[in-house]
Amino acid sequence: MREFEYLRVNTVKEACSLLSEHKEEAKILAGGQSLLTLLKMNILSPSYLIDIKFIPELNYMDFDDKDGLRMGALTNHRTVEKSPLLKEKFPVLPETELVVASVQTRNWGTIGGTLVHADPIGDMAPPLIVLDSRVKLVSSGGERTIPLTELFVDFFMTVIEEDEILHEIQIPPLPPRTGVAYQKFSTIEAGIKIAGAAVLVKLEDGVCKDAKIALSAVASVPMRSIGAEGILKGKPINDKLIEQAAQMASTEADPVTDMHATDEYRRELVKVLVRRATKMALERAKAAKS
Amino acid sequence: MERKLIKVRVNGEPHELWIKPNITLVDLLRNELGLTGTKIGCISNSCGACTVIMDGMAIKSCSILAMQADGKEVLTVEGLAQDGTLHPLQQSFIDHAAFQCGFCTPGKLMSAKALLDENSNPTEEELRRDMEGNLCRCTGYVKYIEAIMDIAQHPGKYSAKEG
Amino acid sequence: MAEYRVIGKDLPRKDSIEKVTGKALYSFDVSLPDMLYAKILRSVYSHARIVNIDTSEAEKLPGVKAVITGKETWGIRFGFVDTPRYPADQPVMAEDKVCYIGESVAAVAAIDEDTANEALDLIEIEYEPIPAVFDPEEAMNEGAPQIHGEQVPAPGRKCAWQDWGVARAARSFNPVNNIGAAVNIGYGDTEKGFAEADYIREDTFVIPRTNHTCMEPHGAVANYNPFTGYLDIWLSHMGYEVKRYWISKTLGIPIGKIRGHKVFVGGAFGGKAQAFDYEIIAALLSRKTGRPVKLFLARDEVFTSTNNSVALKINVKKGVKKDGTIMAQHVKLIGDMGAYRGSVPVCLFLCHSMRDAIYNIPNLTHEGVGAYTNKSTTMSKRGHGSQQMTTAIEAQMDWIAEDLGLDPAEFRLKNLRNKGDILPNRDRLNSYGLPDCIKKVVEASKWKEKRGQLGPGRGIGLAVSSMFNGSGYWPFTCASIIKMNHDGTVTLYNAQVEFGQGPTTTMCQLVAEELGLEVEDVNLVDGDSELCPVDYNNWLSGGMFVSCKSALRAAQDLKQQLLKVAAEMLEEDAEALQVMGRRVYIKSDLQEVVTFDEILRYSIQKHDGDPLIGKGFNKAVPEIEFYPSLSKGSGRWTDAYSFTAAVAEVSVDEETGRTKVDHIWVADDCGREINTAICQGQLQGQSVMGIGDALFEEVMFSEGRTVNANFVDYEIPRALDVSQITTIDASDPDPNGPFGAKEIGECARAAVIGSIVNAVYDATKVNVKSLPLHPEKIFRGLREKTN
Repeated sequence: MREFEYLRVNTVKEACSLLSEHKEEAKILAGGQSLLTLLKMNILSPSYLIDIKFIPELNYMDFDDKDGLRMGALTNHRTVEKSPLLKEKFPVLPETELVVASVQTRNWGTIGGTLVHADPIGDMAPPLIVLDSRVKLVSSGGERTIPLTELFVDFFMTVIEEDEILHEIQIPPLPPRTGVAYQKFSTIEAGIKIAGAAVLVKLEDGVCKDAKIALSAVASVPMRSIGAEGILKGKPINDKLIEQAAQMASTEADPVTDMHATDEYRRELVKVLVRRATKMALERAKAAKS
Repeated sequence: MERKLIKVRVNGEPHELWIKPNITLVDLLRNELGLTGTKIGCISNSCGACTVIMDGMAIKSCSILAMQADGKEVLTVEGLAQDGTLHPLQQSFIDHAAFQCGFCTPGKLMSAKALLDENSNPTEEELRRDMEGNLCRCTGYVKYIEAIMDIAQHPGKYSAKEG
Repeated sequence: MAEYRVIGKDLPRKDSIEKVTGKALYSFDVSLPDMLYAKILRSVYSHARIVNIDTSEAEKLPGVKAVITGKETWGIRFGFVDTPRYPADQPVMAEDKVCYIGESVAAVAAIDEDTANEALDLIEIEYEPIPAVFDPEEAMNEGAPQIHGEQVPAPGRKCAWQDWGVARAARSFNPVNNIGAAVNIGYGDTEKGFAEADYIREDTFVIPRTNHTCMEPHGAVANYNPFTGYLDIWLSHMGYEVKRYWISKTLGIPIGKIRGHKVFVGGAFGGKAQAFDYEIIAALLSRKTGRPVKLFLARDEVFTSTNNSVALKINVKKGVKKDGTIMAQHVKLIGDMGAYRGSVPVCLFLCHSMRDAIYNIPNLTHEGVGAYTNKSTTMSKRGHGSQQMTTAIEAQMDWIAEDLGLDPAEFRLKNLRNKGDILPNRDRLNSYGLPDCIKKVVEASKWKEKRGQLGPGRGIGLAVSSMFNGSGYWPFTCASIIKMNHDGTVTLYNAQVEFGQGPTTTMCQLVAEELGLEVEDVNLVDGDSELCPVDYNNWLSGGMFVSCKSALRAAQDLKQQLLKVAAEMLEEDAEALQVMGRRVYIKSDLQEVVTFDEILRYSIQKHDGDPLIGKGFNKAVPEIEFYPSLSKGSGRWTDAYSFTAAVAEVSVDEETGRTKVDHIWVADDCGREINTAICQGQLQGQSVMGIGDALFEEVMFSEGRTVNANFVDYEIPRALDVSQITTIDASDPDPNGPFGAKEIGECARAAVIGSIVNAVYDATKVNVKSLPLHPEKIFRGLREKTN
């Protein structure tokens, strides 16, 4: 690892101030589960490393029935995995955490850090997207809250400005009769993700009132499959409809061919995963409280 | 590069060290403290050979900046046995011939201890899932799983006190 | 069935305490006063001339103590193969050109790793890229870039074989069309055999490179004493004799002044056997600086710059009668050697000879070539040709059985050799547990009932493999010494290397059994070239059959001495005496006894100071000197074969092509299980390694660059990828093995791979002729079948 100046901060204000000062010469360190590898391989060599890992005001999880969940960016993955609150309110999140990296990584890595890393194969983004999550970004100059989908720009690139940090993830309360599921594909159980699909289905009077579909690893960013959603919305969901939605999602995906899979195979996987996730979400919606 | 002071307890012993900030926790353990039981098997945060317990959590010490261990309590494999008595997990590993080359064994022991401290009676599937972060090329992931399940299912098997 | 006290028990491993307490010392852990850290600068081109190297800025960097390039090692050649026919072809560092991405070009020794890495960045190299070739068949075409010119041994340079006593001078070798190795083995008349066959089937298989992924990376610590000329080395290795030889030969240090130190090794699997450039570089840097030098490779370097298993294209043509009798087999191999010969000449030979003990094929031709390509070198991996050949042969056996309506198990049993057979190369099958392996595994798995019956997407498959038990290679002997201690315990001196396979335990069990001792009474001094007698250690599959047998012979020698002295003390015949519990008894009268320490004291006082030292030694094949012919396959090469039959049950997700292995049964003939827990561990480990080989492991290249040189992109099985594994002991004791024992560390992997391949075929009926059976490959195969 090359040399840098290590700056530990205890408040958001300090962090933002240092970012304003050092701009592109600084990197934020939270859990570092992605960053440390890049530093050790000298792929990144910042002059300043701002350690925000221990800022108390970024580590919280609050829920109320009106505004839903507000989760600090430094909430670590293991907390999300084990949280009784999340298991009750947004069970897809603890469930998905089981396939994120390893226990050791989850113990120290943060949800904010993962989102900011913007790896399109990340598992947490698709369920968060279908849950209509928003993220709050703060800087010395103020703050802004944007839909999570708008955070990601390209492979490993976000809209976060040089002087901004991710502060909070917000998830509105889950409406009644709503089910959410995430399905991923990897060759080995805990292996690199080749495709992933999250689906949210909200039922009303036997009809799909709302559907959200988000895909990972099949585009340069985690993406919504709007056309596929449109196929499901407003209709009673049956196998044929699910098949059509899966086909549409496959068409909307924009995968690459790399050492792990061809783009064609990824599109085939999208079909399978959307189908399976939709069926699971539908079952959960049916079982959910009115 | 300016050295910085950190205070960290390792295996119950307090240490005050002046370290370069650009070293990882495993570098601190192995090079500064001579505790070579914790190993390094990769550079991509993938293999788990460097697993130690920090403030009760299993973490990969190769992917944590040593500075982040300031004020923390770290337990390595060298701290498992107490007063000449092996930890039940260590004894179980021996009894089940749960290791071969042994390079990944310290990491596995620490992951297992952290897991059992949190969930004393996991199912085999839960155990295997929680051990996903510890790669092994020799054993085929059989005997050490049996060794850990044995402790989980028979907690008093080796001694009255468990660390 | 013989009853033994300590043989056949799952006694605790002798390296237990060190390994569970973190005290086990690996080369990776060695730290010496004043030690420097070395790093290697590697080629970024797959084929390029080196126009200029400027190390001046690197040398000026504070903390840098030495910088070396190929200029320092110009003309020095080393290699796993250095014979009259195939001269050593590998330079220590690149000289006038680089031949693969990752090749060593320069090296730095500095006060710490960060400084060494910084110095690498300061080395300026001007390259002139030249056309490269990556595919062995393309490499053999006219007009392909020629990777090596004529390989002419330096004037006066003897090849390794000459140094080792073969009276044939090295010749130059011209790798025409990039061909660097060839084999042509045959017996009978294959043309006639095919003419007599009722059915002929030909298939071509492609087996890629895989990596060993030992958890301890490759590396070395070298400490040269400039005053005495002694070199101490700590290596992550499988046996230091080969290393001592090559460090001596390349650097001119007398072999008696090179000490290989005892260390534990974090996994090897055949990938740490040969002498490596980085070992010679570490020794050279230490000699240059007069300080200890530690050179360990990062994980990506292990992938790109050590070695991978040999990639082979295998064409198998088989002719059989309607009733399943095999009449003829013709195999053609194309090996992807990489930039240097590696072990490919040996592998091409082993592809035949590893399996010749299995089926009785009256007419056989086995030919192959190895072609140079601009990629990293290839070497042994746990079976060294067995895995590749078994995949091809065993898959085709199932397809032939299907084509002819035969039961695949019966088809195999029908064509097996027999115990006592003499093979075409004159090896004798003194033990042959394979029929029992097949019967037991078929019964345990209910293979017959399940085949084709498990339902959609599920399948079961069977395959068999065999393995040799040591052969002739430097230093051609394994030896042991045992001394008597004054408390009645003994100390065994044996140089075997412990990399997980358990010799530190099993050889003590053998000695304990022979001398009537408990295993705790056998102290062990192992793995050190100064403290232990010579041994070729543990990469030739001879650890048990050859080296442990030398320990047993030493114990027998010591026992004889003990009984002789005891006979004198008790005024009895030695035949009337027995050993037990550190004592010698008269068999008929258990009251009359002398203790081992009484015998020792008596011997010292009465026999001119004789302290009772047992000596034992063993060659792999007593009757032969040196080697069989690698290229012709003639001549004896091993004294025993081990066998495995494996069955795998799989589930294939037909929507994605992803295979999950549900259960593996593996029945193994290892002669006799000395330590049952260690044996089970070897079979379990090989089974899971086999899952990786069969389903997803492959070193991938793009224009010569290894693209998956890390544990994220090169996936190996993890804890949740493992099926149930049932191990079955189907041992047939070998009269020449120590208590009948043979190897158990290398045979099963190939059979498991073959069984998974056959199970996936049973599940999908998709003929896949390449490994791994990656989900996308199976998916496409299923899709083609539907269309």
